[in-house]
Amino acid sequence: MPLPLEGVRVLEAGTFVSAPYCGRLFAGYGADVVKIEPPGGDLARAHGPFKDGAPNSETSALFLYLNTNKRSAVLDLGTVAGRDALLRLAADADVLIENYRPDDARTLGLDYERLRAVNPRLVLVSITAYGQEGPYAEYHSNNLIAFAMGGQMFLTGTPEGGPVKNGGYQADYQGGLNAFSAANLALLAAERDGEGQHVDISVQHCMAPILEAGIPFYAYNGIWMGVRRGNLMSSFMGIYPCLDGQVGVHVMARNWSHFARATGHAEWLDDERFATAEARREHDDELMAEVIAWAAGMRKKEAYAVGGEHRAPVTFIHTMQDLLESPQLAARGFLRRIDHPVAGEAVYPGPPWWMGPDAWRDGRAPLLGEHTHAVLAQAGLSEAERAATAGAHT
Amino acid sequence: MTAPLAGVRVVDLTMVWAGPLGTRLLGDYGAEVIKIEGPGQWDLLRGLGGIPRTEPRWYNRAAYFNHNNRNKYSAALDLRQEAGRDLLLRLCARSDVLVENYRANVMDNLGLGFDTVRNANPRIVYLSMPGHGKTGPESHYVTYGTNVEQLAGLVSISGYEGGEPLKTGFSYGDPVSGIAVPAAVALGLRQRERTGEAVFIDLAQRENLTGFVGEFVVDYSMNGEPRAPAGNAHPHLAPHSVYRCAGDDRWIAIACERDEQFAALCRVIGQPELAGDERFATTTARKANERELDAIVEEWTANLGHYEAMHILQRHGVPAGAVLTIPEVMSDPQLRARGAWSAQTHPDAGTWEMETPPWRLPRTPGHARLPAPGFAEHNRYVFRDLLGLDDEAIAQLYADGVTADEPNARTHS
Repeated sequence: MPLPLEGVRVLEAGTFVSAPYCGRLFAGYGADVVKIEPPGGDLARAHGPFKDGAPNSETSALFLYLNTNKRSAVLDLGTVAGRDALLRLAADADVLIENYRPDDARTLGLDYERLRAVNPRLVLVSITAYGQEGPYAEYHSNNLIAFAMGGQMFLTGTPEGGPVKNGGYQADYQGGLNAFSAANLALLAAERDGEGQHVDISVQHCMAPILEAGIPFYAYNGIWMGVRRGNLMSSFMGIYPCLDGQVGVHVMARNWSHFARATGHAEWLDDERFATAEARREHDDELMAEVIAWAAGMRKKEAYAVGGEHRAPVTFIHTMQDLLESPQLAARGFLRRIDHPVAGEAVYPGPPWWMGPDAWRDGRAPLLGEHTHAVLAQAGLSEAERAATAGAHT
Repeated sequence: MTAPLAGVRVVDLTMVWAGPLGTRLLGDYGAEVIKIEGPGQWDLLRGLGGIPRTEPRWYNRAAYFNHNNRNKYSAALDLRQEAGRDLLLRLCARSDVLVENYRANVMDNLGLGFDTVRNANPRIVYLSMPGHGKTGPESHYVTYGTNVEQLAGLVSISGYEGGEPLKTGFSYGDPVSGIAVPAAVALGLRQRERTGEAVFIDLAQRENLTGFVGEFVVDYSMNGEPRAPAGNAHPHLAPHSVYRCAGDDRWIAIACERDEQFAALCRVIGQPELAGDERFATTTARKANERELDAIVEEWTANLGHYEAMHILQRHGVPAGAVLTIPEVMSDPQLRARGAWSAQTHPDAGTWEMETPPWRLPRTPGHARLPAPGFAEHNRYVFRDLLGLDDEAIAQLYADGVTADEPNARTHS
């Protein structure tokens, strides 16, 4: 069985997280992804966390993870020779992914009209903070700022602690996954009639509509609570400390009896304070005290198992160690061991969705410029032309 | 110029948020999506509109439902009855894609597992999106939106510096699963074209979101050291935080990545000498003296509106963004200029603004072309036009309770 994206040729002229995550998904599902790196390498190579804490452009966990299954070609897009080489590569590509500010992208030769002139069926995917046009299009951004301007940050945290972003680079990852969906739709269209297009991903536009019921309630009902709720949305939806970590509970009306039995409190079912959803809301404080007391006496894995048995939506806060030890992830083979010549062996998450045992590849991230010669030769550059590009010496 | 998914018919068995957002995106980009609900097993978002159930067609007026279900048709079928299952399989035979987000064993228990549907349509793309996936010892555990990020490892690395693990302010796992759906379906359709065979896709929501913390998994496996929540701080950069602005609970995010951006910030706040001050002259020094620096920055922001401070800083090349509230994202000039919101009219709910399709595909644009369907609004289209039932057969479905024009008001109460 061929890989789902086998035969698709992708250029990634992006940096850090969003474009590389999009490229990672293309590569994992079988596309040939050439990562264009500047002479110093992708920013993620300098970011870490590094193996043993020692900075090394080949051992950044962030880079290693985001760039599996790709080939690396170093090209200085700040030079004419570099930009010309990019055009030669683009002539044979199906998709080009980039994530620079629109002005910077044009400076690097990543403007759609130029690319279209050499390859009308190319799908150019641009991931930016604000989109290609509009009053903030050239504003500087990063993950923190995107989390703020997308409305997700205001909702996250406590009233007193102030807005806080969640862990890692979530806004950037959202940009990458949105771009992967959009790119694959554009690719279907291009394969149908041979015409590409410039796909414009605004991370802000991706993030702002997905604030749960926040937008619909405000836009339609005129309701906006304007509060951050920390870890406790209500007595039966939140995160509660337990003996060795934290337990997560998300009980809906239909799970109430399951939850009461799972916690060993079948008597709640006969308690009129908790008999209906409305009564439970009315006695939220009293119920919260009960749930807090229950969690405080539990071990996390015990709470999870008893919740599972009783069909009650109870989980526990999985640490990275819990993920590596998860019987569920192990049974599904989700985590993959991948070796790397400099960083050594490490554990990597597998495909975001399973499409069969052979639908995803487990190759490593490339060394900086590892494939420069091969990629440029494949694009038909002569030895002299290859030498003229900044990366040819690597 | 046809939409990317034109000609693709989707049978949508999803409920609540993750699945319906995903299938709505399919509809936004051209697919014909048919949402199937049972007369007694309807999408609970229909009941979360704050509309009293004594009002006419209350179940068609919930905004949360109507945002996530536009560009779909609706038909009612009781899948617990054999006649309902038979019709669903006949509908699958005339469709390209089935999407469901039940707990792992529900579809099999209903007699609608992949093998059965494949028998009805040997070219079906069958996308399941349960919390834990279809296999494994925890697959039958019940899990909802806030649980997914707990299982994915994200909560363990989120929170204030030195603080407890913290949830995201909304059910973050749901939309992250939803936005994956168009890609998963596109890959499935491609695989089907190539092999001529049905495709099964298992999108475990916790695994999809674990992909968003992959560097922490790799790091932990290499170094064996857990990373504590870091709040708004960056491992190397400063200033990199949120700062109080004028007004109640108003904030701005500022993130300097390079020396020249920091120098510009110093000029803007009227203290150009700080750029050369040894406490702040290099990235390393700024990170070491971050708290002192944060206090200096906040002294300046505290007297300005968050938008005002953002515009001033951006004019000087300093990365900054206002921490927008929900009313503010709806009026934000950039989102307005992009056309992120547009007024839509629904026959029962009236006219209000909702989000437009998020991705710009200029040659094959997405559209909000249909309002969310009323419950069972398209029964006749599905039963008569697609499945070829005559009036008598349709009347029998109503008589047997296999379908209905109204949902059972006692459900989800």
